Amino acid sequence: MSPLNRRDFLKTATVAGAGLTIHVLLPLPAEAAGGTITWEPNAALTITPDGVVTVHITKAEMGQGVGTALAQIVAEELEADWKDIRVDYPINDEKYGLMLTGGSWSVNWTFDALSRAGAAARLSLVDAAATRWGAPATECAAESGTVRHLPTGRSMSYGSIVANLPISKRFSDADLKAITLKKPAEYRIVGKWIPRLDLPEKVNGRAKFGIDQFLPGMVYAKVAYPPTREGAKLKAVDDSEARKAPGFIRTVVVGDLVAAVADSYSNAVKARDALKVAWDPGPHANVSSESIFRDYAEKARTDTRSPSWVEAGNAEAALKEAAKTHQAVYTTDYVAHMQMEPMNCVARFEDGAYDLYTGSQFQTMAVGYLTKALGVEAKAIRIHQQYLGGGFGRRLEPDIMIEAALIAREIKKPVKLIRSREEDLRRDFYRSATLQVVKGGLDAGGKVVAWHNTLVAAYPGERYGGLDKQGRDAFALNGADHIYDIPNQFVRAIRGETGIAVGYVRAVAPNYTFFAVETFIDELAHLAGADPVQFRLGMLGHAPRLASVLRIVAERSGWGKPLPKNVGRGVACVTAQEKKSPTYTASAVQAAVDPATGVVRVQKIWCAVDPGIAVNPDGVRSQVEGSVLFGVSNALKEQGIIANGAIAQTNFHDYQVLRMNEAPEVEVFVVPSTAYPTGVGEPGVTTIAPALSNAIFMATGARVRQVPLLPDRVLKALQQKA
Amino acid sequence: MARLLVNGKSHTVDVAPDTPLLWVIREHLRLTGTKFGCGIAQCGACTVHLNGQAVRSCSTPVAAAEGKKITTIEGLDPHGGHPLQVAWIAEQVPQCGYCQSGQIMQAAALLAKNPHPNDQEIVDAMSGNICRCATYLRIKRAIQRAAQGV
Repeated sequence: MSPLNRRDFLKTATVAGAGLTIHVLLPLPAEAAGGTITWEPNAALTITPDGVVTVHITKAEMGQGVGTALAQIVAEELEADWKDIRVDYPINDEKYGLMLTGGSWSVNWTFDALSRAGAAARLSLVDAAATRWGAPATECAAESGTVRHLPTGRSMSYGSIVANLPISKRFSDADLKAITLKKPAEYRIVGKWIPRLDLPEKVNGRAKFGIDQFLPGMVYAKVAYPPTREGAKLKAVDDSEARKAPGFIRTVVVGDLVAAVADSYSNAVKARDALKVAWDPGPHANVSSESIFRDYAEKARTDTRSPSWVEAGNAEAALKEAAKTHQAVYTTDYVAHMQMEPMNCVARFEDGAYDLYTGSQFQTMAVGYLTKALGVEAKAIRIHQQYLGGGFGRRLEPDIMIEAALIAREIKKPVKLIRSREEDLRRDFYRSATLQVVKGGLDAGGKVVAWHNTLVAAYPGERYGGLDKQGRDAFALNGADHIYDIPNQFVRAIRGETGIAVGYVRAVAPNYTFFAVETFIDELAHLAGADPVQFRLGMLGHAPRLASVLRIVAERSGWGKPLPKNVGRGVACVTAQEKKSPTYTASAVQAAVDPATGVVRVQKIWCAVDPGIAVNPDGVRSQVEGSVLFGVSNALKEQGIIANGAIAQTNFHDYQVLRMNEAPEVEVFVVPSTAYPTGVGEPGVTTIAPALSNAIFMATGARVRQVPLLPDRVLKALQQKA
Repeated sequence: MARLLVNGKSHTVDVAPDTPLLWVIREHLRLTGTKFGCGIAQCGACTVHLNGQAVRSCSTPVAAAEGKKITTIEGLDPHGGHPLQVAWIAEQVPQCGYCQSGQIMQAAALLAKNPHPNDQEIVDAMSGNICRCATYLRIKRAIQRAAQGV
């Protein structure tokens, strides 16, 4: 199923990427509907007579503080009083353009458009007041939600303008582009330490997530999932025992979807557990981590036809001519999202339309899938956006909405569908297992002259119509096109086909591509007998902002100063999340290795970022802290193991994630900047596995090239060294 | 039928005695601040107090909570002004926020028993509560802040 074809996707993506998500900018007159006057100058905001400005956040609030940051951008140019600012998370509508939250794109894609939306609204308000006063608009100024006529001192609040005056100034796209925006030095809201708007209700239990929704007459469903992740077919359902379960309502079977419906969550569990479902496990029933990595290694060895991702100079020839060469093989295991709120959705089917209550990172894609699955028009799908109890890319996927909507359609009652943790893990779209074979060559002076990487990974993009003409998936390859100045480079992109669903897990491909790049660069530095920091700086002459963050963490971490035995420091620097919109990020990691057990303990992390303008500086810090610790969790602990066509782990006891007792101290440095802002949700993650692997090497002389950097892998590397 | 005393109010709910307390609190009483995370007492998102002790409500049958004082995040302080809640805002702790009710309830039980925990005592008490956003450093700071009465 690919409801949004590639051209549509790219068209919408390009529009959004160009910062034009707010494309409807015709100021409407203040409307009196049911006695309430609201002025909606554009899709970004509404103002009511009480002066309250509601900024409509079309990005998902999943902990990154996007609601506050985007509201700050609008409020800045609107010259609003921050105390008047509210936010809401509207139901999907075409007027919002591409509704997609991911890729650390939110601020980067909307900063210009939201600034102009705020500025246009301000200019309209100023124009309305000036007209009333019979004064030229140039004699008026807006500040803190009030328009003033400077020569006379007369003033009107935004609320009173909305309530009392006709507002008629309109903006064409050209007018919008022509607006002169404020200079960073003039900011009073952007770049300020403003507390997040969503936190008060997140400490008193009132914040509503998808799982917290209720509808009148609502019942509960539990789905019986197949034994394999992909390709299973339903053979038969026997619900004779389920019917005896307390509160049983009915069994729903639609295609391969089987669910038991009951009057409470606990009763639905009992009914579902009593279903006897026979499955044909399909073609992937024997797939395992071993078989996947065996297949990957075979592909890397034999595939000479898959397209290149990077090609510069002649890497093969340069390798042959190099004074010294080196080769290393890097692998990364499957990673699950493990967002704290298991996937869930409340669905209602009424009068031919579906109301879906859930937290979505990709409403536009969900609408595409849902219209196909349900045979309805897009206008019949209303996604009521809720807070997301963690996203990390999991809630890009519409699978839970499709299941809930189909069940609601069959039972003609509002239904709540909640996956257990076990189901959530089993039905995840994992970060792909990957294998990279990297070869490098140095000239006689120790300069890197050749780089060759053969990268094998499964591609999540197919489901999104996101493969390019050569069959490549940018989201599986990003980062392999690193920024280092190396004359001869070749990266071959080989698609792994595994029978295991892959998706987008925080930091996506750069998590594994930068692991290989930044570890291999370290290996080459040692081959050249060079200091790893200086070695990198030598290839970053053209990337001063990246060089700068690397210097910061080197200096702050005391790079080069002696450490106790079995303690080491490593660095990594990246242009994540995307090379074309990079947040320059570097980390230094200090870790202790127990040579007897292979246990690695991260002691401290220094992370420096240059994201351009930091719209909400504490929000940036919070994201960087969280992302580097997410990176520690990925790098040290998380190994999704595949057996019999599905993940073998079931819950947090056997798929472990970082806990407080393993969280190192983190020092964050945000480089002051007036450059156009990029994103900070993901880049920090990508620095940790390589910096930690490099730290382990510095501590012990052993190279661990498999993530997670598990104790047995560390021990093996120690033995190989010895 | 189960009779429960939650946040000072009595409730009678028609559920099987083996029903996890979590689902009774959330789906029957609609006190949704208490969260479902794992169902096997591994993540702490469902933490409530039973007679002042932090327990995992996902793994507590409703029958075991009868006759005891149950406190959820909604009942921790009538105005949401418990020193931990104040400190949580001051340190801007939550990211997605989903686990934070459980974190705060766990921390409240710690401070009730040990008003001035040292770093290690905080880590020991809090390591059963997972935060996938990894707000651990801020959680630690917020507990220290609340303990100092700042």
